[in-house]
Amino acid sequence: MLEIQRGVIELNNEVIKLQDVTAGYKTVTGFKSILKRYQVVLKDINLTVSKGERVAIIGESGSGKSTLLKVIMGLLKPIKGEVYVYGKQIYKLPWRERVKIIRKIGYVPQDPYSALNPLLTVKHAISEPLEALGLKDEIIEQRVREAVKFVGLPQEVLNSTPDELSGGMRQRVLIVRALVAEPEILILDEPTSALDVSIQAQIINLLNDIYSKLKTTMITVTHDLAVAQYLADRAFILRNGSISEEGPIDQILSNPRSEYTRKLVLSYYVTSFKNNKSVGTE
Amino acid sequence: MTLPSLYSRIMRRNLRRTRFKIGVALTTIIVILSIIAPLIAPYPSEGYGYVPANASERKLLPPSTQFPFGTDALGRDLFSRVLTGTRTAVIQAVSVILISLLVGMIIGVCAAYFKGLIEVTLNYFTELFMAVPSIVIALFLRLTIGQGLHVVIISLVIAWWAWYSRIAYVYAKSIVELEYVTLAKLSGLSALKIIPRHVIRNIFQALTVQAISDLGSALLEASAINFMGLGLPPGSPEWGVILYEAITERGIEAFLFSPWLVVFPGLFIFMTTLGFSLIADPLREDLDPRLRRRWKLWF
Amino acid sequence: MVLAIQAKNLKIGYMDEEEQITWATRGVDLSVEEGESFCIVGESGCGKSTLASAIAGVLPPHALTMGKLYIFNQLVINESERNYNGIRGKVVSLIPQNPGTSLNPFLTIGDHFYYILRDVKGLSKSDSIKIAQEYLSKVGLGKDVLEKYPHKLSGGMQQRVLIAIALASEVKIIVADEPTSSIDANLRAQILNLLSKLVKEFKVTLLLVTHDLASASKICDRIAVMYAGKVIETGLTSSIISKPRHPYTRMLLDSVPLLGSKKSLNPLPGEPPSLVEDFTWCSFRDRCPFRIEQCSVEPPLIPVEDEPHLVRCWRFREVS
Repeated sequence: MLEIQRGVIELNNEVIKLQDVTAGYKTVTGFKSILKRYQVVLKDINLTVSKGERVAIIGESGSGKSTLLKVIMGLLKPIKGEVYVYGKQIYKLPWRERVKIIRKIGYVPQDPYSALNPLLTVKHAISEPLEALGLKDEIIEQRVREAVKFVGLPQEVLNSTPDELSGGMRQRVLIVRALVAEPEILILDEPTSALDVSIQAQIINLLNDIYSKLKTTMITVTHDLAVAQYLADRAFILRNGSISEEGPIDQILSNPRSEYTRKLVLSYYVTSFKNNKSVGTE
Repeated sequence: MTLPSLYSRIMRRNLRRTRFKIGVALTTIIVILSIIAPLIAPYPSEGYGYVPANASERKLLPPSTQFPFGTDALGRDLFSRVLTGTRTAVIQAVSVILISLLVGMIIGVCAAYFKGLIEVTLNYFTELFMAVPSIVIALFLRLTIGQGLHVVIISLVIAWWAWYSRIAYVYAKSIVELEYVTLAKLSGLSALKIIPRHVIRNIFQALTVQAISDLGSALLEASAINFMGLGLPPGSPEWGVILYEAITERGIEAFLFSPWLVVFPGLFIFMTTLGFSLIADPLREDLDPRLRRRWKLWF
Repeated sequence: MVLAIQAKNLKIGYMDEEEQITWATRGVDLSVEEGESFCIVGESGCGKSTLASAIAGVLPPHALTMGKLYIFNQLVINESERNYNGIRGKVVSLIPQNPGTSLNPFLTIGDHFYYILRDVKGLSKSDSIKIAQEYLSKVGLGKDVLEKYPHKLSGGMQQRVLIAIALASEVKIIVADEPTSSIDANLRAQILNLLSKLVKEFKVTLLLVTHDLASASKICDRIAVMYAGKVIETGLTSSIISKPRHPYTRMLLDSVPLLGSKKSLNPLPGEPPSLVEDFTWCSFRDRCPFRIEQCSVEPPLIPVEDEPHLVRCWRFREVS
């Protein structure tokens, strides 16, 4: 009896689960694309994310980070393996049904410069997810204003167009856009890599603030160990399309098990300040 | 930046350029003429091809105060005919370009947005049409459904839409890979909303500029079809038809002994095409930074 | 000591199509001694790349200049006149930001060396290949690289090739504009260490431009911090890192996430001012927690008593 209950609880807690996922892109185009020839990017990925967790997926360029995100968000059907989002096999569903599940994911894309349509106002961009839900205009307006207030953006920003905004502002707008439909999972793809140091710190603080208020599940994809340390409790190290290490982030940083992770961590310490202790300890 | 403000900025910046100003002036004159031509033509009915009662007395007269452009072999006032032809010219060029743009844009954008088999099929379909010259289609239509304005427009549209489709496809292909389209897809918007809002909006400027620069070529090709007698029937107020009549009735002598028959319609074709090109060139430079040069600052 | 680079009230701006001038640097005073590793730190839009390209002699033709710039006592920028004859490529060389787009994809690495050495030193093909091999081994690449085309090399290798090219032309100053920004994290350290080692070995003056204060502190002797087109603080690396005198520098240090120590990040709210508008007050005024009345007048570069340290802040004593 107890075991059954435990099983139920566990099932409810797993929001995302990847089982032996192998994914890749077709190598042939045109009519030949019916032939199933792939270049494999991800190999046998097993990954579970529970509710309310903060997870980081760490990897260098070319390690398959973005492909993994595409698989999780229902944009790329894996060659092999199963993807469960909220216990449902999303790739067994048609796109219309799949989108209903995917909507629970708020996605903040990598490049804040290509993620906003240059011809639409910020308000239009933010209200798009609500519009897709079929809400009334007044409700949309109200919720957009609330969300903008929540992340500390001025209301005037709503009527500006993206090219009037700086990178940091754009990133905030994208975070608002991801949050406005009240998602249960927040996926951040390199949330700070395009930003300057001080703006990066602002965004990191903002994201931590959001987490402490909303307790949404957060998945951060990054190449930067230091950023991951601030935004996650558990980490997966991705290397050449497979997970080379997994565990609590503090343990990975202090006591890496694989040779690759050790090298990665070490190279960070090399580029750190000469004497760490004297920095920022007031 | 919203679409209207973008256009107003383009206009503001370009209006400083002389050639853009000349182009706008020429085009405005042509468009105004096309509207008021029947009102200011001295012999409106002759403009539409009716032979006047006293035709035999005024055949092939050189330009004079009574007939500013002279008269043709049937005694009609050439000035009235050329002037009335302005309207046909504008209708032909604009409708051919508009219809081709619309058809081509929809097919090209769909090919780029719906990947996979739809993309491949639509692309092959487009390429098929790129291989057909408009004059051959006009010849075929002339033999099957006869003469008329619709023959000119249909044959040109069939030959031209594929080019817009290709241009729209290339531009849209880069747009659909951008994150804002992915975001819209993920939030569950339907393709019917995403395509106009995100894709067409962002390629529209490039396509419009291409369309404006093609207006001149469309007019040239329409005149060519008419000149070969495949489009509008003889007597129609159209510059190609006027040239066709001059050549069929007078042969090479038209050039030697009554040059006004070819010079004036030719001049109008030239000026209209020039006007369209002078507008389009600066616009295209705006769009493509590689063409932009800052001579003033370089030296 | 000979001054390698000296800038006096250097202003560089760009004019756009609407004939508005954006001043990217707004009166920079700078002096770098020969053989020094000097670093310019700043966030995007602070004018650091413009300053670097002015020193390397690669300003675009439509840039406007004011003030003076000397390179080894030769006047290269005198108000609006620019004359880089005998300097560009011969005294100063640039290691660009993006190695992938800086190498010609149709030339082999050997050809790159040959064309550059032929122009700079008038060498023949065989001589330049010999020199190329020597310098490639210095940066840790084999001679098989000479036959390869740039796309066959990884980003890190391309950057090494560019370093070798810069060194092979035996310049006296190397300007490196964000040399590691497009390289993976675990290669960054290698490249930076290599660069600083070689610079010391060949006694070249290094001008490193970066947004990364941490890696700058690793390899540079002195640091200049730029904000909104102005140098706001210069000094020895150790003194900047341990005792920042300007509130902006301090904020930068406080907002770098450090691995292993979960200190809280304390960025100040707000963003750098736009460079289109003209201001006469301290550019950091609106974000500064130490703001006083005097800040509406521009603060001068004030020397700090006991060290070679300059800071552009009225209240630097309270900051540190």
